[in-house]
Amino acid sequence: MLTVNNLVKNYESNWALNGISFSINKGEFFGLLGPNGAGKTTAIGIISGIIAANDGEVELNGINPKSNSNEFKKMIGVVPQEIALYERMSALENLMFWGSLYNLSKSDLLNRANDLLNLFGLYDRRNDKIKDYSGGMKRRINIASALLHTPQVLFMDEPTVGIDPQSRNNIFEVIQKLHSEGMTIVYTTHYMEEAEKFCNRIAIIDCGNIKAQGTLSELRTNSGIKENIVLKFAEPITALNKKLSDTFGAAALIEEQSIKIPSDDVKADLTNVVVKITALGLQPSAIEIEKVNLETIFLKLTGKQLRD
Amino acid sequence: MLKLTLKDLKLFWGDRRAVLLSFFLPIFLITLFSLAFGAQNREDAKPMRLPVADMDNSVESQNILLAIDSLKNIEVEPTTLDSAQYLVKKGKRTALLVFHSGFADSLGSGKMPSLELQFDKSNAMEVAMLQQALMASIMKIIGNKLAMQKEMDKIDAQFAALDSMARVAIKMQIAKSFSDTDESKPIMKMTELVAPAEANVGLIQAVAGTAVMMLLFSVAAVGGGLLEEKEFGTLKKLLYSPINPNQILYSKMLTAMIISVFQLAIMFLYTSFMFNLNLMQNLPALILMIFFTAFAVSGFGIFLAAVARTRAQVQSLSSVIILTMSALGGSMIPTFIMPAFMQKISVISVNYWSIQGFYDIYWRQLPVTDFVFLSRLLVLFLMGVALITISGYLFRKNILKVS
Repeated sequence: MLTVNNLVKNYESNWALNGISFSINKGEFFGLLGPNGAGKTTAIGIISGIIAANDGEVELNGINPKSNSNEFKKMIGVVPQEIALYERMSALENLMFWGSLYNLSKSDLLNRANDLLNLFGLYDRRNDKIKDYSGGMKRRINIASALLHTPQVLFMDEPTVGIDPQSRNNIFEVIQKLHSEGMTIVYTTHYMEEAEKFCNRIAIIDCGNIKAQGTLSELRTNSGIKENIVLKFAEPITALNKKLSDTFGAAALIEEQSIKIPSDDVKADLTNVVVKITALGLQPSAIEIEKVNLETIFLKLTGKQLRD
Repeated sequence: MLKLTLKDLKLFWGDRRAVLLSFFLPIFLITLFSLAFGAQNREDAKPMRLPVADMDNSVESQNILLAIDSLKNIEVEPTTLDSAQYLVKKGKRTALLVFHSGFADSLGSGKMPSLELQFDKSNAMEVAMLQQALMASIMKIIGNKLAMQKEMDKIDAQFAALDSMARVAIKMQIAKSFSDTDESKPIMKMTELVAPAEANVGLIQAVAGTAVMMLLFSVAAVGGGLLEEKEFGTLKKLLYSPINPNQILYSKMLTAMIISVFQLAIMFLYTSFMFNLNLMQNLPALILMIFFTAFAVSGFGIFLAAVARTRAQVQSLSSVIILTMSALGGSMIPTFIMPAFMQKISVISVNYWSIQGFYDIYWRQLPVTDFVFLSRLLVLFLMGVALITISGYLFRKNILKVS
């Protein structure tokens, strides 16, 4: 359905994208995972046709955004990272305006806007000005405004950043509903648990390169990491961060009172880990074996924590 | 594009401060300026070019011409009566001086000289200053001396038979009669060549000058909205939708133009209601001038937005540019009381062409088909086109660059 082939983008001497390629099938939920500055937003900008690439091709259902921009744009919906709404207009007025750009009839548009307001739980406040909304409510309208023309592919760029749990849950419900109805979704996020929960396939992007892509299971297999050895402590261990990193490597995830050490052979590694931690003068209060998650894979591939 | 414009208009009306700035502030300023111009003290002498039609062509008229030409800030332009009148009627000169045939004789006989100042009352302040310079500095002094000397010479020629004591007595009587001349008696006939019907120059200056200046502030705010869209992310979101990016720019201009047309219309309606300006005097010309002014200032509004990188830049740039253009173009003070070099510079200002256009309608009373009036419309149109073209280029180069 959507094919992205060898996208290259550089800003003066900085490479934002260094030849990324992937393809997404109809109805798929595709995650684009990467830290700030990895190139996720630039990739969405190029795919949606508002940023010119230095090289590479994008095609959606055989339509190229460069040669047939309007047709291409009618097939996609984009939820930008920032809340892009007119604050002095009401939610309904905003939705009516954004929808009108797709040449929907006024009655269809009004029905669609009201449906979306209901879906996002904001129908009762549809006539309130956006400036009177909370951050989470604005986020919901921001998403709704990209759905008015019922796009085939929905790009969501960090749609849940900085919002309250109620709004986040509502957004999750809507996203799941849209996906279950067959909408193709491209989702960028900082939050591993969101990617793990929703995405059929994930591409891990860093410094303009795709480090790995596939299903979560494929990523686990390809990363070579099978499990994590988790050591928990009664006291904070952050004072020993540097020593712990030097001892267990950059792939170790050090938290306030725990450390996760990836391992592809727990039986062989466990004794070694305990010896090393004891040598550092630390006594674990508990030792657990955890199945590897996306965060660990990401850490191994990029050497960075996703929320850095 | 209409949808974008309607959205912008809705946002504009929702912004009470912008509406207040666009409509009520100009009304307040028009009132203030109208009152101020009505009570203006008109004493300052200012430079000007004075076409002179010397139909008498006598030694006396030539002497007076030389005397006027020697005055600082008055430059005599000898020409024919028709040419001189054409220049004044077209607003290129404020007044013309006519020495009618028989001027020298009337001067010699002590009658009112056949001297006439024909003027454009729309520049009343300048005419008053000119009149004062001519009458006080030249006519009253030189005119009386010439006439008295001529009479003295006649006494010697006509009464050669009388003894010298008798001739001296007669001359003393003549000198006394000249010194008894009523100084308030007009030496020069004053004729309104371009005579407006009801209104006064201060009113036109106030409404046109203020309205155009305030229009520039309004359109700068609308243009700044483009950068607001960029800063708030809505510009990027608009680009995601299936519209031509240029439509975003031109919809802003259309918004600015609609607001400008309404703003000018309301300003003139208010002036008509409060100060009896006769809008029906030349309604087609007024409508045309409003539209062309709105077009040019709207181009200026988007030009500002395209040049600046941030809204803060628009605010500071617009304040400086608008105040400069308004000062140069005659919004704050009439151009004719400016130094000559500033009068030449003033033509770069939108304000100048618009204000002169409104003068053409209400003071020079030029018909809508008049070349001078049409040329002012053309200049405003070309200014608008030039500003739009540059803005379009800068918009694509700077503003549409989304990272």
